Amino acid sequence: MKPVYLDYAATTPVRPEVLDAMAPLLGDVFGNPSSIHRWGRQAAEALEGARERLSDALGASASEVTFVRGGTESDNLALFGWCGAQRARGAEPTLAYSAVEHHAVFEAAEHAEATGLASVVKLDVTRDGRLDLDALRAAVGAGPTLVSVMWVNNECGMVLPLAEVADVVSEAGGTLHSDAAQAIGKVAVDVRRTPVDLLSGTGHKVYGPKGTGFLYAREGTPVAPLLHGGGQERALRPGTQDVAGAVGLATAVRLAVAEQEASAARMRALGARLERGLLSELEGVRINAGQAERAPHVLSVGVGGIEDGSALVMALDLEGIAVSGGSACTSGSMKASHVMRALYGPDDSHATVRYSFGRETDEADVDAALRATVAVVQRMRAA
Amino acid sequence: MSRVLVAMSGGVDSSVAAALLVEAGHEVVGVTMKTFCYSETPSHGKTCCGLDGISDAKRVAAALGIPHYVFDVEEDFTRDVIDDFVQEYSEGRTPNPCVRCNSNTKFRDLMRRGRALGCDRIASGHYVRSHHGPRGSTLHRGLDEAKDQAYFLWALPPELVPQLDFPLGALTKDEVRARARTLDLVTADKPESQEICFVPTGDYRDLLKRRLGTHPALEPGPIVRSSGEVVGEHHGYAGFTVGQRKGLGGGFSEPHFVLEVRPETREVVVGTRDELFQDEVSVRELNWLTDPGESGASLTVQLRYRAPAVSATVTPTEEGLVLALDEAQPAVTPGQSAVLFDGDRLLGGGRIVAAGRRVETAVPGLSA
Repeated sequence: MKPVYLDYAATTPVRPEVLDAMAPLLGDVFGNPSSIHRWGRQAAEALEGARERLSDALGASASEVTFVRGGTESDNLALFGWCGAQRARGAEPTLAYSAVEHHAVFEAAEHAEATGLASVVKLDVTRDGRLDLDALRAAVGAGPTLVSVMWVNNECGMVLPLAEVADVVSEAGGTLHSDAAQAIGKVAVDVRRTPVDLLSGTGHKVYGPKGTGFLYAREGTPVAPLLHGGGQERALRPGTQDVAGAVGLATAVRLAVAEQEASAARMRALGARLERGLLSELEGVRINAGQAERAPHVLSVGVGGIEDGSALVMALDLEGIAVSGGSACTSGSMKASHVMRALYGPDDSHATVRYSFGRETDEADVDAALRATVAVVQRMRAA
Repeated sequence: MSRVLVAMSGGVDSSVAAALLVEAGHEVVGVTMKTFCYSETPSHGKTCCGLDGISDAKRVAAALGIPHYVFDVEEDFTRDVIDDFVQEYSEGRTPNPCVRCNSNTKFRDLMRRGRALGCDRIASGHYVRSHHGPRGSTLHRGLDEAKDQAYFLWALPPELVPQLDFPLGALTKDEVRARARTLDLVTADKPESQEICFVPTGDYRDLLKRRLGTHPALEPGPIVRSSGEVVGEHHGYAGFTVGQRKGLGGGFSEPHFVLEVRPETREVVVGTRDELFQDEVSVRELNWLTDPGESGASLTVQLRYRAPAVSATVTPTEEGLVLALDEAQPAVTPGQSAVLFDGDRLLGGGRIVAAGRRVETAVPGLSA
């Protein structure tokens, strides 16, 4: 039995082009980009080249991109950094976030509220992928507000209506942040076409190295640093840069964006194949957010009649199929995730299985996943 | 070959149990149960069930090349073990949480979840032997007398017994440690866990205070002799168990011990050592792992972990049974287990509800 990895939304392997681009920075080109000498200049050149390639891929300018150490840090820097800048000018900030945000956003917002840094407003999301725009307008109209709405949901692949949200936010004078960790390389992400003010991304979801990420901040968007101790990244993210990581990240994002259309078509076909198979061979399953626009790399399935969703993921692992139940941070607990509760109500009793596809996934893989899922679900329902 | 689920606490015993099953060629799945919220208890490196236990178990599983999963059983464990523990103390009895955990959480719930993973057998690192033969399955004391844990398993659902494996039953603790060192397991030299896993500080009264809030069991009450004479005051009867000597205050001419806890009057009854001995034990909530009809006069009963089993005559009653002990025993404690054996074969047991002394019998050692 060849094990099948269908958890690319959790993380991806570093692709060879990325590894090749990084290799010199882990070897000869080891300088500190802040140093005056030639080693430093060489590293700085690599770093700034990476910044330019990354910003270019997303329709941004290089000066708008800050390298950070991952998606969670980027989300936290956006929320706390923006709130900090508001506080510094004596304003009382509000954070408005969708009910399906990643933990890195909603737990940051909850912490901001608990510590008195900001008021928070949670915005409902329907299972067909709509936000209450009147509630959004009301929240933004009440004072300086950062709206955080993710581009693609990590648990069910739902694409959030960013263009609509951006219109409402800019009309009402708010600031818009979006966590695009699951969107880059899967759907078109261009900050000129979709005018977000802050955008968070990470390398490891697009075949880049773990521990790499960036925050895009549109020119003029105030963000205060969370760390202090040096002038790196225009003092917004002090600390000697991970130049190899930045180069890996930029290379990965650039390739992901360039290949986005072709890979989306391929993954969409794989997802459709698995979806058809599951719906025809199993009773009592639903496609989570099935009525919403969805990113091509995620197929999230709700399975009824199973007491413990985490056991389903374990059972599939024993059959050689690697998937997630909800997001990696939510699994292991029997409770429905905050995303499933938001979309399907607090009493939803479906177990979640998230299949996610990548560059290496082929039809044989999804067929193996289908066979294993049918067998395991039938066994668990009979137990 | 069957798929075996092995309960791995992160201690040396269950680590070696898993290793032996792998060596025997089974397909082994390691599972650690997350039983309670660790953030509520102060960090305590030496317990086996803490988060350290989970990560140790994961490392051992990785070294053995077997999958390992964490089952979050907090809700069930709280209901079946911790709530019962608190309830028993609040009613003046002394609970046996490890018995509750084994019969409910560790084997019943684990088997149910294990079946979902396609496991048809379940194993643990208990020092117990299981015999599976054509005439059925039986459980026996572990060969290492110092480690034998059959006492803790009397309340298992009998239908589970045929599915249980105990790879350490014929080994001594020293052999198990030696095996762990040979295999270079990270848990090889881990100290023994002695405390109740959800009371890592060793002081269960903190837990009772947290969970009961204000309760008569935690309020002061009189310390009395069996004659009714008041000899002092205590800070809550939940802090006392039969046979306890600590916490009674001084001023006695000879050592005094708790004889009885009376929740209805909040009295803690004390007396001298010879008053502790009793030879008639009422038992309820019986559980038989084997047909009780087969065993005759050779029956023995173990009234505490590490106490020797003593011969007894059994008389069934409406709610359970009464044990007439051949020799009186000290500190027979309501809430604790009375575990029945035929030689080294575990028959079953029940919860002790009351103890007394048959009028005519003599107490050994009293005349000395």
